[in-house]
Amino acid sequence: MLKVGLIGAGTIAGVHAQGWSEIPDTKLAVVFDINKENAEKLAQRFNCVATSDYESIIEDKDIDIIDICTPTTTHKEYVLKSALTKKYIFCEKPIARTVEDAKEMVKKCKEKRVRLMIGHVLRFFQEYAKMKEQIESGVIGKPAVVRTSRCSGFPRAWDNWYADFNLSGGVIDMIIHDFDWLRWCFGDVDRIYAKGLGIKKYNEKNFVDYALVIIRFKNRVIAHVEGSWAEAGGFKTSVEVTGTKGMLNFSSSDSIPIISGIKKGVGNQPGVSIPESPVAESPYTLELRHFVDCINRGKEFLVTADDAVKALEIAIASLESIKTGEVIKL
Amino acid sequence: MIRIAMVSFAHMHAWSYASCLKMLPDVELSGIFDENTTRGRKMSKIFQTKYYSKIDKLLEEDIDAVIVCSENAKHKYHTVLAAKSGKHILCEKPIATTIEDAQEMIDTCKLNKVKLMIAFPCRYGSPTIRVKQMIDAGSIGKIIAIKGTNHGMMPGDWFINRKLSGGGAVIDHTVHVVDLMRWITKKEVKSVYAEIDTLFYKFKIDDSATLSMELEDDIFATLDPSWSRPLKSAPFWGDVSMKFVGTDGTIEMNLFGQKFDLYNNDRIKAEWVYWGDNIDLGLIKSFVNCIKNNSEPEITGYDGLKSLEVALAAYKSAKLLKPVRLPLQAKK
Repeated sequence: MLKVGLIGAGTIAGVHAQGWSEIPDTKLAVVFDINKENAEKLAQRFNCVATSDYESIIEDKDIDIIDICTPTTTHKEYVLKSALTKKYIFCEKPIARTVEDAKEMVKKCKEKRVRLMIGHVLRFFQEYAKMKEQIESGVIGKPAVVRTSRCSGFPRAWDNWYADFNLSGGVIDMIIHDFDWLRWCFGDVDRIYAKGLGIKKYNEKNFVDYALVIIRFKNRVIAHVEGSWAEAGGFKTSVEVTGTKGMLNFSSSDSIPIISGIKKGVGNQPGVSIPESPVAESPYTLELRHFVDCINRGKEFLVTADDAVKALEIAIASLESIKTGEVIKL
Repeated sequence: MIRIAMVSFAHMHAWSYASCLKMLPDVELSGIFDENTTRGRKMSKIFQTKYYSKIDKLLEEDIDAVIVCSENAKHKYHTVLAAKSGKHILCEKPIATTIEDAQEMIDTCKLNKVKLMIAFPCRYGSPTIRVKQMIDAGSIGKIIAIKGTNHGMMPGDWFINRKLSGGGAVIDHTVHVVDLMRWITKKEVKSVYAEIDTLFYKFKIDDSATLSMELEDDIFATLDPSWSRPLKSAPFWGDVSMKFVGTDGTIEMNLFGQKFDLYNNDRIKAEWVYWGDNIDLGLIKSFVNCIKNNSEPEITGYDGLKSLEVALAAYKSAKLLKPVRLPLQAKK
């Protein structure tokens, strides 16, 4: 039985708590949040202990896994401390806010022989895994021009931390998912040119961020990544991969198996239309299950710590390009 | 009666423009010139009009205007000849293959007091007109960014002969969407960065690209003009799509999104059948109207030059591996 200490009680922490509850031989033992009330709410839902003292979790010899689900800039402190007490560490993406911090974290974990996995969960999304499988099968030939898109409204989270560009990095924080998936499919990046609001034009009162990033891979693939926190509608993603023999096209809004229309009241009162795309196991649960499985069998994680650093390097280069207007060579 | 002749069927759009001429009650398709005798004769027969093997002979006739659909590099030669004969000109895009040629076309038409209109039919799509209305009305606030695509199938023929085309996918497919961006936002492109390559086919001309642009008023934009649609299996020739992102919302337009799916056992692949308006008809009507009313063409030679400039800047940028500022300096 592996006992889990959850750091943070926000949105993603709730998703992880659900994941832990579905994985046999693991038990969510304690939830930490600097807001004790939030921790208690989550702890109650999943029948575990709440605390506002994170060191007590990290130093608790009974805890095997530390699962970090807090804002990006806090990751480093939790990871470094958990490395010292030799925990298995799962940390949400992005690994850190700067490449220097990320490298220091990875180095410390290697030094202490502590296993660290970062939550680049897109690799566990059924559609993204299937697309990679198809690309690798050669069915579209050699990949050439690629487009990805990830769009939502402005994220609302604890203390509205996303609205602080210095803390979140804006919408680039979200499309690091695509950066990692693209690297997984097409290898290392040669150069990046990005346009976005960036810190100069980011206006936290507008609650809008938007970025269009062009990535040139070492294997010559040209990728275009859209990241949007400017949408009025719900969350949507899309991917297009063109190649010498064909093309693969995915759009989340076209892959909806259930749309329920629920009438409100009687007669012609307007109702709501709710799209749903259920899967047997949530990608977040799959991701945590994989983490536990690799720990138990001593296998390498699908997302290595170095992968997480490289995804962050792309994100930071994008921000740098947005800021300077220059092409950034990696 | 407005009398209009066709100059060359080298570009496949000539077929559609000639068909549009035939649809208009007060317009006559008065003849076809084509260097390619076989093609010219065939088209003259189909469209029931006279074939001219010499452009001079055609231009001696009492016609009001010509539609130039020759290879890109020949637009200037044909346009200048027509202008000097006092004929108005509707010229296929891109206006030319160099800024100097484009400028000479504009200057010659001005000097000879004839109209020069550039064929950007996408402006006449009903979805485009509606989107422009919405943006003009401020429905999504201040424009922050535009994401565009103009994907297509590799057209082959002279399109992949640099001497005749001036370039591959980038010169072919950049100009439509850039023209729409300029027209809808009323802003000019200030700088261009592009990744350009030949990734799909085994020839030297470009077939793959993505452009990034800065427009006036802090708008940024990208455009994918690649010849990336699989030749044998794609259900449609390509697309023209634009997403406008504003402070108060977004508008996504797929110009050819009015379609249904068609499956046929003999044709093997699935197909999309487009049922929206004929955008070329809007273009041709506008050209005829500017002659009738003696008004400025809705799409000018300058518009043609400005979108060509973006394509040329893209090539320059891809070579230099850095953004290129506009306007480009004409070579003297």
